[in-house]
Amino acid sequence: MILEIKDLLVLLQMICVIIVAAYFITRTGIFSEALDRQLSFRSRVYLILFFGILSIYGTLSGVEVLGAPINVRDLGPMVAGIFCGPVVGLGAGLIGGAFRMGLGGFTAFSCSISTVLAGVLGGAIYYLQRGRPVTIRTAVGFAAGMEMLHMVLVLILSQPFDQAWDLVSRVGLPMIFANAVGMFVFAKLITNLLAERRTKAERDSYHDELQRKKAELQIAADIQQTFLPKSIPPLKGFDLFAVSCPAREVGGDFYDAIRLREDNTGLVIADVSGKSVSAAMYMALSRTIIRAMASWHPEVSLALADANTMIEEQSDSGMFVTLFYGVLDEKSRTLTYANAGHNPPLMLRAGSSDFSRLMPTGVALGAASEQEYGEDRIDVLQGDLLVLYTDGVTEAINARNEEFGEARLMETILMVRALSSQEIIREIRDAVREHAEEEPQFDDITLMVLKGV
Amino acid sequence: MTNPSGISVHKSEDGAVVSVTGRIDAASASLLETELSGLISGGERAIIVDMGGLEYISSSGLRVLLAAKKNLKKSGGDLSIAALTPFVREVFEISGFLRIFPVYPSVEEAVKGKGPVG
Repeated sequence: MILEIKDLLVLLQMICVIIVAAYFITRTGIFSEALDRQLSFRSRVYLILFFGILSIYGTLSGVEVLGAPINVRDLGPMVAGIFCGPVVGLGAGLIGGAFRMGLGGFTAFSCSISTVLAGVLGGAIYYLQRGRPVTIRTAVGFAAGMEMLHMVLVLILSQPFDQAWDLVSRVGLPMIFANAVGMFVFAKLITNLLAERRTKAERDSYHDELQRKKAELQIAADIQQTFLPKSIPPLKGFDLFAVSCPAREVGGDFYDAIRLREDNTGLVIADVSGKSVSAAMYMALSRTIIRAMASWHPEVSLALADANTMIEEQSDSGMFVTLFYGVLDEKSRTLTYANAGHNPPLMLRAGSSDFSRLMPTGVALGAASEQEYGEDRIDVLQGDLLVLYTDGVTEAINARNEEFGEARLMETILMVRALSSQEIIREIRDAVREHAEEEPQFDDITLMVLKGV
Repeated sequence: MTNPSGISVHKSEDGAVVSVTGRIDAASASLLETELSGLISGGERAIIVDMGGLEYISSSGLRVLLAAKKNLKKSGGDLSIAALTPFVREVFEISGFLRIFPVYPSVEEAVKGKGPVG
């Protein structure tokens, strides 16, 4: 309007100072406290001083028009109130207002009151937001509205009215504009800051999730290791060995060799459905129940039927376990077994190159209630070889999605049949690894080999 | 040979047919689980799982089917299986699941075979 270019340049300089001040204060830890709405007493004092001084700067940097500086005195208290709450707003407003009062002039009182009001009304908005972030539009709208109120107060409170009217008509629009721009700078910086904090929070929670997942994998692996037998009892006339290699995400495989009576040992291999901690817990449960039932029932079929009932009662979310259970009698050299849905162990007789399968005699444990299990008996003579395994062996895939398969397993066994149980297991594992190459395996690999010697 | 699993659902008044193709392993089993539990909580009582295009199912996949079946039983419904491929049939046979699930040669026969649910 009547303002000259020179005056506008001064206003621009003012805005630059405000940008620097805004950048500085929003990057401090104190301001983070304000955004979290958790200001300590000391932080409040710092913020009151900062925005109070900003208000004084707003007065001093003003451009003189008819003895009334066009200024951004109200900006500091407004920002203080709207982003840091009523207390900080009022404090900053009082400092800015007191300083303006000291300068005197016919608008001293109306301008001082406006500055205090700017802080208080900013605080009121802060309060009304109830923790929701203030939008740029709200903040800028508030700044423009506040300056209009400032002008109205000058008209009402400052005498003589003619002079007040003259002043307001000259400085009104530029004042509203300057303060709105100043508020825009603050609000924009603060909105960006909030967005950054959100991104960081998301990144942190993703990181936490990863850590949790990792811990979970470790817990599952620990549980599984705890519930595997520490050693395998020595058997007269037999060479027995077993190994379980958990996948990265534990699959709940287990094996067991349980001393039952004189010359009798229970052999177990099992595969729990599902993965990770739930599979490991279910494995621990199943192993405990099987151990108890094995000692209780001399008949394998009854042991499995009772174990099934107990496990089924605990089976939420469709969990089940495929399990092969056999009792080896060292004297009579017989293995009496029942197979609850487990992939058939392979029997290779001495001198023969044909395998026979120990087929399932019932449903996987925990899948359905009131199941009966059949049982069968085989001889395990000198040179006979029994290989028990879980599907992690036969379903190990390579990069072309080809499974290791039962046929390759049989080929491998035929080649290494003369070795000890421990060596046979190592050879099978090597063959599986060679087949899978670099492909990550998703399931545990568990093997038990019984050899008549 | 590499065939990612695909799950599609077709709803009719006779119930819902869920078609699964490719491989159901630990990773894709959770997708199937979400799909099935969504249908069940949506009030579906008769679900047929069409396995005509399924190459492989792991124990995690069987667990999901068993969980869905147990949930459906609670509300008087049932889950049946249609069109088993040879490999998948073997998995069902060994685990004993052939005895637990009603299994039909095709979806049409599964729809007919069900009759009044109860």
